[in-house]
Amino acid sequence: METLNGPLWPTLILAGASLAFAQPQPYDLLLQGGHVIDARNNIDAVSDVAIRGGKIALVAQHIDPAQAFKVVNVAGLYVTPGLVDIHVHVYAGTGEPRSYAGDNSLYPDGYMFRVGVTTVADAGCAGWRNFEDFKQRVIDRAKTRVLAFINIVGHGMRGPKYEDDLTDMQAKPTAEMALKYKGLIIGVKTAHYTGPEWTPVEQAVEAGTIANIPVMVDFGTNRKERPMSELVTRKLRPGDIYTHCYSGLRDELDASGHVNPAMFEARKRGVIFDVGHGGGSFAWRIAIPAIQQGFPPDSISTDLHTGSMNSGMKDMDNLMSKFLAMGFALKDVVAQSTWNPAREIKREDLGNLSPGSVADVTVLRVEQGDFGYTDMYGARLKGNQKLTAELTLREGRVVWDLNGITRPDWTTLPPNYRQTGDARWDAVTPAPARRPDTKR
Amino acid sequence: MARWCLPLRLSMSFLALACALSAQPPYDLLLKGGHTIDPKNGIDRVMDVGIAGGKIARVAAAIDPGQAKQTVDAAGLYVTPGLVDIHVHVYLWQEPGGEAAQADAHSFRSGVTTMVDAGSSGWRTFPDFRRRIVDRSLTRILAFLNIVGAGMGTGKEDDPAEMDAQAAAKTAKDNPDVIVGFKTAHYAGPGWESVDGAVKAGALTGLPVMVDFGRINATRNINALFLDKLRPGDIFTHCFSGHREELLASGKLNPAMEAGRKRGIVFDIGHGAGSFYWYVAVPAYAAHFYPDSISSDLHINSMNAGMKDMTNIMSKLLNLGSPLAEVIRMATWAPAQEIKRPLLGNLDVGADADIAVLRLDRGNFGFVDSAGARYPGSQLIVCEMTLRAGKVMWDLNGRASQDWKTFPYQKETWKH
Repeated sequence: METLNGPLWPTLILAGASLAFAQPQPYDLLLQGGHVIDARNNIDAVSDVAIRGGKIALVAQHIDPAQAFKVVNVAGLYVTPGLVDIHVHVYAGTGEPRSYAGDNSLYPDGYMFRVGVTTVADAGCAGWRNFEDFKQRVIDRAKTRVLAFINIVGHGMRGPKYEDDLTDMQAKPTAEMALKYKGLIIGVKTAHYTGPEWTPVEQAVEAGTIANIPVMVDFGTNRKERPMSELVTRKLRPGDIYTHCYSGLRDELDASGHVNPAMFEARKRGVIFDVGHGGGSFAWRIAIPAIQQGFPPDSISTDLHTGSMNSGMKDMDNLMSKFLAMGFALKDVVAQSTWNPAREIKREDLGNLSPGSVADVTVLRVEQGDFGYTDMYGARLKGNQKLTAELTLREGRVVWDLNGITRPDWTTLPPNYRQTGDARWDAVTPAPARRPDTKR
Repeated sequence: MARWCLPLRLSMSFLALACALSAQPPYDLLLKGGHTIDPKNGIDRVMDVGIAGGKIARVAAAIDPGQAKQTVDAAGLYVTPGLVDIHVHVYLWQEPGGEAAQADAHSFRSGVTTMVDAGSSGWRTFPDFRRRIVDRSLTRILAFLNIVGAGMGTGKEDDPAEMDAQAAAKTAKDNPDVIVGFKTAHYAGPGWESVDGAVKAGALTGLPVMVDFGRINATRNINALFLDKLRPGDIFTHCFSGHREELLASGKLNPAMEAGRKRGIVFDIGHGAGSFYWYVAVPAYAAHFYPDSISSDLHINSMNAGMKDMTNIMSKLLNLGSPLAEVIRMATWAPAQEIKRPLLGNLDVGADADIAVLRLDRGNFGFVDSAGARYPGSQLIVCEMTLRAGKVMWDLNGRASQDWKTFPYQKETWKH
């Protein structure tokens, strides 16, 4: 965790200045002329962004391109912190069918960089019994930064048989695992519970209290014995997260179409409301009235899994575009997808472009045209803007480049070229091409 | 549209008659007003496509929307057979590691309805691949079986003892619904064991072989491969990699390529992470040497690099100069024929309604090869919709949906 506090900045700037004298090119990469949106630092203007050693070095109106090893023109595009998606399911590869600790999950790298996401939080696929398997199978191998909410269910999200088993919901071992992987396990999840008891929520909150991390709640079956209003106004702590906030499945809107007053009250208390779109948790008929009545989300998250990836949800860019279509300003949508979720999971080192922060950066294009966006039921809202990830940097290096804006024209290269990148800025083709016998 | 057989024609007529009598619209879904490209049937013009029972029911200039339960306006878009990608890697092992991608996560969003895994599994591992991946995927997954029993990336690819043609042939005969051929890949040589083994398995079963030619040497070269070793119909993938003297030092195309083509060798793109370079593709196009089929070689190292997905590669060839109808053919009917699956890659009446609806964008785009070199282009193929057996699997802009204000929201059900 590279948390950067205000008083450290002058030191870093000085360090940068002294490097400038020592080297002809103090910056590895310069993103030039883009419109920077950085909610943490209240920036919403055309600015250059310089990167050195995998970290943000400087954000300023004009940075001399001669100071950079590699310069990329991003004029007309938006430069934002790498997107932070705090609700995904990526515990793939176990071979378990119909399980979020298995076939319902996705491997993260195929779905993140191409839409500008650099950090995800798995929302409870694993519990304390299988978290370490998840870690070595997926987290440690992914290029995406994968964090996790640990499920209060010891076996994790393996289906109703496990997720309804009250005896496997134990705060103590859950908190112990969370403390063992502090910073990696950033919260506790409770989800999908069908019974009338408060036990899952209470155990999750207890674990969250011991480990000093927030709880994310998918409130499962709507039951009168444990109404959502009581959950958000009494059971959850400030900082705990109510996801699927526009599903409409748990009285978020009353019969007359008004936002449940408990949600406003809870927001005042500091409870967080997160989108968690998924395959079955986002309806226009809930989201549009709720937002019109003054209830925007604190954070935008996908609830990405195999059931949502090809449906109305699709991916983070599509979901953010839905909020543009509902009338949000781009800077707010970016804040809801970067700095807000980073703070919610207490990873203030992420989701911003402060000098010294890790250079996870997304370059977005806003396309104008006629687009359509569908909800969980297949109902459509039309929009005239669409976000597309042009470029994604992870720790200062290119991991996605839709139109090759970082790349040289092929006619400018020597015959039989095999390499154009450099490890200082490129993670796609940074090394010589592999030998024919080892590559596919 | 002339080739469907008489019994089928009769049964379809009875179907239409029965539907008329019961006053049910005969078509479940009608794609209206799209420019239909169906290379098998020589269609390249605005045509409506009617779908019933998961099958193509009718392709005609004007089908009455009153005849369909649902009509999707496809005006300004291209309606093509579902794309057939004959070179992917989608065998996610039970054990961590490996380079495979998840089929359903990549297929439908780029118009692909059929994927052929190119040798990720061999005869020893195919049952596991079939059980965990093929049988559980929504994408239609077929396979080239690796001649190496242990399969790809297992450290056994240079071991001739693993290349058991009889065992491979038996597995293929036991799984004729999935296995469409054999693969040899990554062999370091110096001999021909892997190619010979694969061709032997191919001869035992009547199936084609796909070759990733691995490492070449003075005698193990593409000239000998095309003229002495492979059979007509066998497939040379990675054809624009330049790794195996496809392009000579002079910058001219190796004459072996044309000679191989004359013999009936099939040339497939297999783009991947390290197998497509502009400095090979551009001279090949200049010499009028075009690929027979377009395939992605999808895996974790290609998916986020220059390859990206099928529509991106198709766009590359479009910008190189192949006409759109040709590009569609290279990604549908041509590969379907190569793998001897004539029921795929076309819009025959009675065929499974695997369909891609594509949009052609104009603008300033860039396309990147395996070295990261950029080729500017003005056309980009975007997948708007994908249907698998008549079911909408991907709908980028909600064209099959209706506006939320008039949407008949039903009582919500708990679905997650």
